[in-house]
Amino acid sequence: MGQTNNTNMKKRTIIAKTVALLLLAMVSLPAAAQTTTLAARSGSKMRIEGTSNIHDWQCESPFIGGMIEVGPNFPLEPGQAVTPGKVEAKGDVFIQVRSLKSIEKDGKPYMDSMDNVMWEHMRETENKRILYHLTELTLKEAPKAKDAPYVFDAQGELAVAGVTNKLSMVVNVLPLGEKKLKITGTTNLKMTSFKIQPPAPKIAMGMIKTGDDIKLIFEWMLAPRKTPGAAAN
Amino acid sequence: MNENESEALGYNRRDFLRGGSVATLMTMLGGVQLFAQTNAAPAGDAKAAAAKIKVAVIGLGVWGREIINTLARVPQADVTAICDTYPASLKRTASAAPGAAQTADYKTILDDKDIKAVVVATPTFQHKEVVLAALKAGKHVYCEAPLAGSIEDAKEIALAAKAAKNLVFQAGLQMRSEPQSNFLLPFIRSGALGKTVLARAQWHKKTSWRTASPNPEREKALNWRLSKATSLGLIGEIGCHQIDHTGWFLNGLPKAVSGWGSVMFWKDDRDVPDTIQAVLEFPGGVQMIYDATLANSFEGEYEVLYGSDAAVMMRESKAWMFKEVDSPLLGWEVYAPKTTFYKETGITLAAGNSKPPPTDAQGQPIQPDPLTTTPLYSALGNFLRNAVDLSAAAEDYKSSYGADDVDGLMEHLGKVPRRAAAGYLEGFQAAVTAVKANEAILSAKRIELKPEWYELS
Repeated sequence: MGQTNNTNMKKRTIIAKTVALLLLAMVSLPAAAQTTTLAARSGSKMRIEGTSNIHDWQCESPFIGGMIEVGPNFPLEPGQAVTPGKVEAKGDVFIQVRSLKSIEKDGKPYMDSMDNVMWEHMRETENKRILYHLTELTLKEAPKAKDAPYVFDAQGELAVAGVTNKLSMVVNVLPLGEKKLKITGTTNLKMTSFKIQPPAPKIAMGMIKTGDDIKLIFEWMLAPRKTPGAAAN
Repeated sequence: MNENESEALGYNRRDFLRGGSVATLMTMLGGVQLFAQTNAAPAGDAKAAAAKIKVAVIGLGVWGREIINTLARVPQADVTAICDTYPASLKRTASAAPGAAQTADYKTILDDKDIKAVVVATPTFQHKEVVLAALKAGKHVYCEAPLAGSIEDAKEIALAAKAAKNLVFQAGLQMRSEPQSNFLLPFIRSGALGKTVLARAQWHKKTSWRTASPNPEREKALNWRLSKATSLGLIGEIGCHQIDHTGWFLNGLPKAVSGWGSVMFWKDDRDVPDTIQAVLEFPGGVQMIYDATLANSFEGEYEVLYGSDAAVMMRESKAWMFKEVDSPLLGWEVYAPKTTFYKETGITLAAGNSKPPPTDAQGQPIQPDPLTTTPLYSALGNFLRNAVDLSAAAEDYKSSYGADDVDGLMEHLGKVPRRAAAGYLEGFQAAVTAVKANEAILSAKRIELKPEWYELS
């Protein structure tokens, strides 16, 4: 009888400890789920503007691929309270070089030969993508209005034509609801910093000399990554 | 696709001539360099970095071989396979497509995942089976015109093409891709001719259309164009291009067609007329008079649009404007090159006319390869470039945004700019006209062309 009581006591203890562990795990789960992964969505645009001795030029791509992984202090909803300072975030972005096409000012296609020149100078055959790796994100200040973007300093690395440079730029994060985001930004670069010689194609009337300075302007749409069989975050 | 051409509706001629652009200046000097994309290598220090696409040609008759010879000059073309049920055709074509696999069964081509595009140049009555199978297999398709020998078959092809939003379908109405025609379109639609009152076109060539055959079975297959059961005759096989071309400039579909035809010269066992005439009634009272014959070659092939201020003649990718003595001076025609035809002086209308021609190292003008200046070259080049662009756009969309957003992908593919080409709708409408015009010719009747016949539902 005494031994049966001891066995029962041990069983109850094991059960109690197991329940306690389970309860502890359940309490811990929400903390782990606070990392959110957002994937690229259509509606994005990368635009590059430049100059030449003949006329200014521009090209665009409708594709910005990649994802970001953000921690709990990253603004995912409009009006979310966020403390200025470093936020947990990392991300990888890519743009297919062949999707960059020259356009007129009104957006209509410009010229195939200019596209070919551009891709060749970007060494597209060996480097099919422009790559950006986000390493650090710091909120500069909280937005002053509910529909205003959150302004961040972004540190990362940009790889173009096989050459990687560190890149600091200001990005604006605008939550759109349901954890959808629009991230925009502008940065000035020099082609030669990526060992790209500004193109100078010969034409019937002489030579076009492209300027070294270019401006990158992007709009990147993101939404929670869809996981098969899982509820939305 | 012809969305850009449709936007030329209501184009203002004064704006076209007055604008401050370089293009307008060039026009005033006699010619204009269009957004007339060519497949030539880009100028300067860039190589022609053309993305190639594996393409197969199905049907190796006279025109199929012409297609192969032309594709050999298209930078994007990698002719990977050729197909014909007749071994002699395969053998004859092999040297023009070195390295291409040869097959008598088109299904082996459709099973090959590496082949992304097919050109269908079989006899017209065989188009439907091959085209529907090719679209189902996920291939971009170029289908020779007329699309089919019946409206029902043409509609099946067009509807299948319409549903395949991720694929390029191009009808073989090659004039729609031709840079010169695309250059002329806004000029003519802007009212440069005054009020258009009449159109005329002809195709004259002394040739029997009969192909010698080694045996009676092959005889019927080779000479499908000479039988009413399998051919739409001269109006369908030849006239469909010229009628479509003229209707494109007139910006309308014919409302009625009258026709006549008979075997005037080639008295063999054919029941397809060797000489035909047709009158097509276009909106606004403009009649197009068309004649074609296999019995005489005088004046060959051309089209003319007659207006109260000027006439424009189009022949062999060239065009001339003949002005009325009382029509207003445009100014630029004073400096434009001219050609004299008997008593008439035609002002040359040409894209790129004022640019200096390319020269070699010794400064001598470089004569372009004749096969790169034909409408077929432009049509095939645009087809393959559209196919390359659409395939790349689909791949880039899926890699950037995931393969699950099918609706988004299709919406995006619908917006990808395309080079000038006849699509499924233009091909279908041209087939409707061809079928009914042939009916009119064979019955010597006038047929009213109902607008609903031209609709794809």
